[in-house]
Amino acid sequence: MKKLYSNKPVILSLVLPGLLVFLFAVLAPICLSVYYGFTDYSGMGEARLIGFDNYANLFHDSAFGRSLKNSLLLAIGFICIQHPLAILVAAVLDKLQGKAEGIFRCIYFIPNVISVAVIAYLWKFIYNPDFGLLNNIAKAFGHPGKINWLSQQNAIWSVLIVLIWHGFGWGMLIYYTGIKNIDPVLYEAASIDGANWWTTFMRITLPMMKPVIQINVTMAIISALKQMETVYLLTNGGPNNSTQFVANYLYQQAFKAFKYGYGNAIGVVFIIICVLATVTLNTIFKDKQEA
Amino acid sequence: MKKKWTAALLAGAMTVSMLVGCGSTGDSETASESVQSDTKGQEKVEADSTANDGASSDEEITIKLFSNLPDRKNGQGLVEQMIIDEYMDANPNVTIEVEALDEEAYKTKFKAYAMNGMPDVVSIWGQPSFLDEVLDAGVLAELNEEDYLDYSFIAGSLDGFKKDDKLYGLPRNTDIMLFYYNQKMFDDNGWKVPATYEELLSLCGDIQAAGITPVAMDGGDGWPMACFLTDIMVKIAGTDYADIVSKAVAAGDFNAPEIQQATQILVQSADAGMFQIGYDSQDYGTAMNLFTNGQAAMFCMGSWECSMALNEDIAPEIRDNIRAFTMPTIDGGKGKASDIAAWNGGGYAVSANSQVKDEAIKFLNYMYQPDKLSKYGWENGVGLSAQDQTAYLTGSETELQKQVMDILKNAGSISGTPINDCGPSAFKTAIESEIQGVSNGSTSVDDFLAAIGAACK
Amino acid sequence: MKEDSIHIGKVILWVVLIAVAVIQLFPLIWLVDFSLGSSNEMFTNGLLIIPEKIRWDNYVKAFVDGNFLHYLRNSVLINTLAVVLVVIISIMAAFACQRMKWKMSALVSTLLVMGMMIPIHATLLPNYKIYNMLHLTDTLWALLIPYVAFSMPQGMSLMTGFIQSLPKELEEAAVMDGCGIYRIVFQIVTPLLKPSIATVAIMTFLNNWNEFMMASTYLSTPTWKTLPFSVLEFTGEYSSNYAVQFAVMALTAAPAVIVYIILNKQITKGVAMGAVKG
Repeated sequence: MKKLYSNKPVILSLVLPGLLVFLFAVLAPICLSVYYGFTDYSGMGEARLIGFDNYANLFHDSAFGRSLKNSLLLAIGFICIQHPLAILVAAVLDKLQGKAEGIFRCIYFIPNVISVAVIAYLWKFIYNPDFGLLNNIAKAFGHPGKINWLSQQNAIWSVLIVLIWHGFGWGMLIYYTGIKNIDPVLYEAASIDGANWWTTFMRITLPMMKPVIQINVTMAIISALKQMETVYLLTNGGPNNSTQFVANYLYQQAFKAFKYGYGNAIGVVFIIICVLATVTLNTIFKDKQEA
Repeated sequence: MKKKWTAALLAGAMTVSMLVGCGSTGDSETASESVQSDTKGQEKVEADSTANDGASSDEEITIKLFSNLPDRKNGQGLVEQMIIDEYMDANPNVTIEVEALDEEAYKTKFKAYAMNGMPDVVSIWGQPSFLDEVLDAGVLAELNEEDYLDYSFIAGSLDGFKKDDKLYGLPRNTDIMLFYYNQKMFDDNGWKVPATYEELLSLCGDIQAAGITPVAMDGGDGWPMACFLTDIMVKIAGTDYADIVSKAVAAGDFNAPEIQQATQILVQSADAGMFQIGYDSQDYGTAMNLFTNGQAAMFCMGSWECSMALNEDIAPEIRDNIRAFTMPTIDGGKGKASDIAAWNGGGYAVSANSQVKDEAIKFLNYMYQPDKLSKYGWENGVGLSAQDQTAYLTGSETELQKQVMDILKNAGSISGTPINDCGPSAFKTAIESEIQGVSNGSTSVDDFLAAIGAACK
Repeated sequence: MKEDSIHIGKVILWVVLIAVAVIQLFPLIWLVDFSLGSSNEMFTNGLLIIPEKIRWDNYVKAFVDGNFLHYLRNSVLINTLAVVLVVIISIMAAFACQRMKWKMSALVSTLLVMGMMIPIHATLLPNYKIYNMLHLTDTLWALLIPYVAFSMPQGMSLMTGFIQSLPKELEEAAVMDGCGIYRIVFQIVTPLLKPSIATVAIMTFLNNWNEFMMASTYLSTPTWKTLPFSVLEFTGEYSSNYAVQFAVMALTAAPAVIVYIILNKQITKGVAMGAVKG
């Protein structure tokens, strides 16, 4: 058995496909990005090495700063709005028995399986000040309508609403599963003690859900950092970079502003930020769990 | 009578001096580099084409066409598709595959293509922001200018597509910046076409008071507003426009009083509610639909949208009533009503590294035979081509077409390249984003001018 | 008194659940509603319209001009291939790293899972360059490779966890019977992993089905374009006809929604398992 299980060629043959995919599709592009990040390559013609100039410029680039700030806003929005709502709804849903439970769960998740391409265009219409759904709702409540949802001041919040709406089912589902995994004995004990729903929720559900919440929070922060597709189609970072995100910005810089080298430098910093964020969050939550 | 009129048009079009403007600055610096890369490209092409020469003519050939006209059923896209279909009928061994994207997406993808391997025939723009870097990289095939002597291109219209006296592309249109308006709506409400900017502003006030959006503006894309700004500048600076802008781009300093004043007028107009609510985040289609559905009284766009008058998707009572006027004069400005914002922007070119370069050029030349792009374009009401179209007047042109033709015929001067296309693409990206900020009031005029200046350096 | 408060509680509970359901579903109902009308009917004040005439031809246009069948076929094909590859590759790699004895197993395992941290869009620029050099753009590979690469880490991490929890006795017995490693992996271990394979498959499908950023960067001709392009291309072509645009959006969303409703139990389970453990 030991011999069979340490046969080098066999091991290699098993791992090789995975390693090749990793090398070719993840590592190689990163290396190429690092190289181009040090050049002034425009995307065509010759590339010239310029050292750390791109990275130095990045520090003064207000649009890049705005992108990071937007990611932070988004993450805060997810954590402070989407997740509390998702936990509450999950807890309420858990109280429901029978068929209705399944039906609601199914409905909440539907937006999640729809393509971002559809979602982004749909919300463009929903936000339209002339005939959009939201303004018609506002009018139904007596407001004159014509609210500019995607103005420079509002746009980032409007983007946040779309993302919360789109991702709500996902978060809810995970909390819901977490709640289902809580030992019912705990609830019985609480009900014997005469605790009401709210106390039970605060004293039992929330504390027991801690690991799930941690996973969800990590995912929220990472997905806020990685945001691109919705914004690309909904606002393309506008008006005037007010909804810019890192991934969208590097794409624009490389393919629109003819700064392929600069775009790659942004890409490198982007990767570093994402790796650091993941590692940091994982360490924080691991320490807490052990403590 | 008609003969006389066409002759006048011809003369008018020919004598309009085509100021290509800001293209010259900066060209000389990069010239030597590009010559080298050009020759490299040339050698490779020659090797390829000799390989092709040996093949028989009924060999299956596929030409990839990359186009910026996604709507293949209306206007210019329809014209392009008609010619493609005709060409494939005439040459059964040739298949033409079209990839078509919206202008913004097109430009993004074009640059991506330019890195390695372009489609064979591509849409291009004869403007520094687009063409300078493309030509530096040597991705476009040189065309033989002498081949086109019989194609009746309007004098000067090829200039934007040349570098060091070599021709790399052919212009498709003559574009004029226009205010389209709904004649019936104007008549019903007693509104009049404004002769001065003051009148335009007060007209917008009246329209707003009637609960209608004055001007539909595609502000989400940035470039139409930059064209609007160009138009204002032309009315302020007159024929000095190109000079002022090319100096500003070269120096990275946009504090010239004309530019400042023009920006201020733009800001005031936007602030006064000239455009629809949310214009700075709405795209081309949304803005146009506001106008074509009667929600807006005017639509600020280039002459290529003349085909609206023939678009079956637009209700006839609106479609038949579309008319156009140009930017009115500005008090104290040097520009006369006949100094208009117009240019020869879009066109086609062939990729230098195309495997089927000869066939691609053959197709390009086919498209530009005067009875193809020009004639079909005219018949489908897409506006003005860059070739002499007088032979194709049918007498059944739409009112809109006649009007636009008159505008060009009567033009005293035309501006050349719009401001956003006068600098490198980093500048273009910056101004098209910053102009949203300045017009919606979240950036000051000074910050705007400083930001676009910085992008030139 | 107590009865009453339970009663009120029930009412609140239902109100909350229904309110959320309405928020989640109404935009979609709005979409379908307007897709059946004409474009002019968009400019009304009501929330929903009763179309003057139900225009099914909007959907015919969307179906034909949106290249619906062709793009759907591509999406199904590419995603199925990606799922199969991700499952096979991650089972093999996870087994080798988890069960077999070699020095670098931990390192390789971490390396492969680390891909999860890399933002996929950061590789758009360099990958475009690489695929161009290798003439992979506009081929099936341009989508398949990154789809597999960015779903593999999650598959790998899930599979590692599942393989870890399998009892070793079965394999030991198999070794006694003289089975080789490949037979152990594919005939003994793989069948035991059925629920986890379902999870990995569902996660991979959900990750890639709606992807369009890479597709629009790496593809140019319609040959391999996927379903989201029905929408992306259509809005340009039919920019002046809102109702038809709505129809194409509804149509594009339909396959995934229908499959989800049919398989909703399995998908729910898969997502829950995948998200928590991955």
